[in-house]
Amino acid sequence: MAKRTPSIDTKNLTAVQLMELDSCVRCGECLKWCPTYAASGQKPGLAPRDKILRWKQFMNKSYGFKARLFGPQEISQSELEEFKDDVYGCTTCGVCGTVCEAGINTVELWEALRTNLVKKGIGPYGKLGATAKAIKQYHNAYLLDQKDRLAWVPSDVKIADKADIVYFTGCTAGYKQLSLAFATSRVLNKLGIKFAMLGEDEWCCGSNPLRTGQIGYEDVSREAARHNVEALQKKGAKKVLFACAGCFRAAKVDWPRLLGKELPFEVVHVTEFLAGLIKQDKIKWEKSINKTVTYHDPCHLGRHVGVFDAPRYVLSHIPGIKFVEMDRIKEFQRCCGAGGGVKAGMGDLAVAIGEARVKDALETHADILSSACPFCKRNLSDGRDALKADIVVEDVIELVAEALGLSTT
Amino acid sequence: MTFVQVMILATIALVIFLYGLIINLQKWGTGVTGYGLEPQEGKKGSAITFLKTWWKQVTAESHHGHGKPILEVLILDIIFQRRILKRSSFRWIMHLFIFGGWMTLFALSGLMFSVEMIEKIGIELPFTTEVFRDWLSIPNYIFGYILLIGVLIALVRRLFVSEVREASIMYDWVLIGVIFLVTISGFIADGIRTGFIWSLGLDPSAAPPAALFHSIFSLFFCIAFIPYSKYIHVIATPLAILANKGGE
Repeated sequence: MAKRTPSIDTKNLTAVQLMELDSCVRCGECLKWCPTYAASGQKPGLAPRDKILRWKQFMNKSYGFKARLFGPQEISQSELEEFKDDVYGCTTCGVCGTVCEAGINTVELWEALRTNLVKKGIGPYGKLGATAKAIKQYHNAYLLDQKDRLAWVPSDVKIADKADIVYFTGCTAGYKQLSLAFATSRVLNKLGIKFAMLGEDEWCCGSNPLRTGQIGYEDVSREAARHNVEALQKKGAKKVLFACAGCFRAAKVDWPRLLGKELPFEVVHVTEFLAGLIKQDKIKWEKSINKTVTYHDPCHLGRHVGVFDAPRYVLSHIPGIKFVEMDRIKEFQRCCGAGGGVKAGMGDLAVAIGEARVKDALETHADILSSACPFCKRNLSDGRDALKADIVVEDVIELVAEALGLSTT
Repeated sequence: MTFVQVMILATIALVIFLYGLIINLQKWGTGVTGYGLEPQEGKKGSAITFLKTWWKQVTAESHHGHGKPILEVLILDIIFQRRILKRSSFRWIMHLFIFGGWMTLFALSGLMFSVEMIEKIGIELPFTTEVFRDWLSIPNYIFGYILLIGVLIALVRRLFVSEVREASIMYDWVLIGVIFLVTISGFIADGIRTGFIWSLGLDPSAAPPAALFHSIFSLFFCIAFIPYSKYIHVIATPLAILANKGGE
């Protein structure tokens, strides 16, 4: 009789991650904080600890004590499919890792599990596979022409050919949420900051394939990272500004790791840059906003990288803004619901999470729910619309532009 | 005779523990050695691969900027269990009592065993094993009660807090049940020997078999069983916390 082979393999799962599965003590803390588990009506399979337990059982069936003695036990395709659905029902926000008593790096574990399943031909979920292909072919996830990268640039915006500071727009701000690109470029002009942009040479940051387990798809993320770094160097970048939290996280954390070296420039989120200028008293505000504003920490800016204070510093220095905090903030924030491919793959779940976050904001009686990420803005707006709630969703950079008397259209 | 029996059983328990530990290390060692990599074709998991990967991660710079110094992690996150304290002071007390009680009793048992061994090989000590056992009696009781309180909190929590009870599976129950039995059997064995409250009215002649039962139960369920059960977390959790530099 032929020797049975394990139903799973360990591709992309590091030896430490496999150990982390055994470090989970099932304390249940992750359940209390997981936004998808809550928004799904507490679907057991979405609970982080349940996913860990299931993969641990898969590992034991394949490589554990009994498997050593009697051969690997088969794991049915339906079990693996169900597991895949649950692993993709996660925004990879990482709050489970923040509260994990065993200190498990859950974000990387979910991403590695996704990659493993993709390599096995089980993932990705739904139409997420098309995104990596689009990025490979078009260098953006929206299947749009690279020549139109700067099509949004209004005549009043001055962009240098080369500069120490380069503004990395990101696909979403550059193609879809133009108000963010208008605001960022005009604010920089207004403050007298000479900056360049990559234009056609700006490729997708590669975040989407990484977050959705498609790191292996034709090396698309590494290729994007390499290309963008070289293009930014050619522009003379010493400091690269990001207004998109997703791109910022990719550049700050993923690019150096993919390329195996430190980046030859500084990676800065626009809120950090503005906070620095405010501290140097280099911003002369022209308009008072006169609204109560609360702030939602994007996972990719806050929890994943640790930028919590700069956006708050900027908001609290805009004239007329009364800044209020939600109950769950900073590393304990509730995700907006857009991340990890959930917006693209499981739209209803994403909106349900967005609704929960908007409810958090409504409790503060704020007029404006601000954030610093186009994905958060989009999903919080969808959540707000689903609730028919009377609250404005605006990015920090849009509020800055408004307070400087600038248009964002 | 009893000493020889216990020695044989202790050796067996230790072998079972080591075998299970190696199986786990090899299972973990089936993983890849770094981010975004694939396992080498045809290569079986090895304990060395795991240990090397773990050490590489411990000593590498954090990509997320969350890393804390190893000494801080060792003292605050592993010994003091800061991550549990941050989440729940109640659960922290419970776990610290179990951890502190168990570890100290384990160390005291090791100390007693060492003295017995020294005596067996003929080295003269300024005290007899009986005197030494009496010296350890009070710390044994103190840490035994600390462990018992921790275990009782855990049991009560699992039995009477509905969300915890409903989420508990056999994997969780075995862990607590076994510690509870080990603790109680320890108290009873010592109670019969000394005639104190835990004797359950049993004759002192029952002391040796009671002590033997406690020793065997402890050896097999608190040592040999570790790699095959949820107890594996006593090894894996500190290693995970160290690898992730204290976690986020």
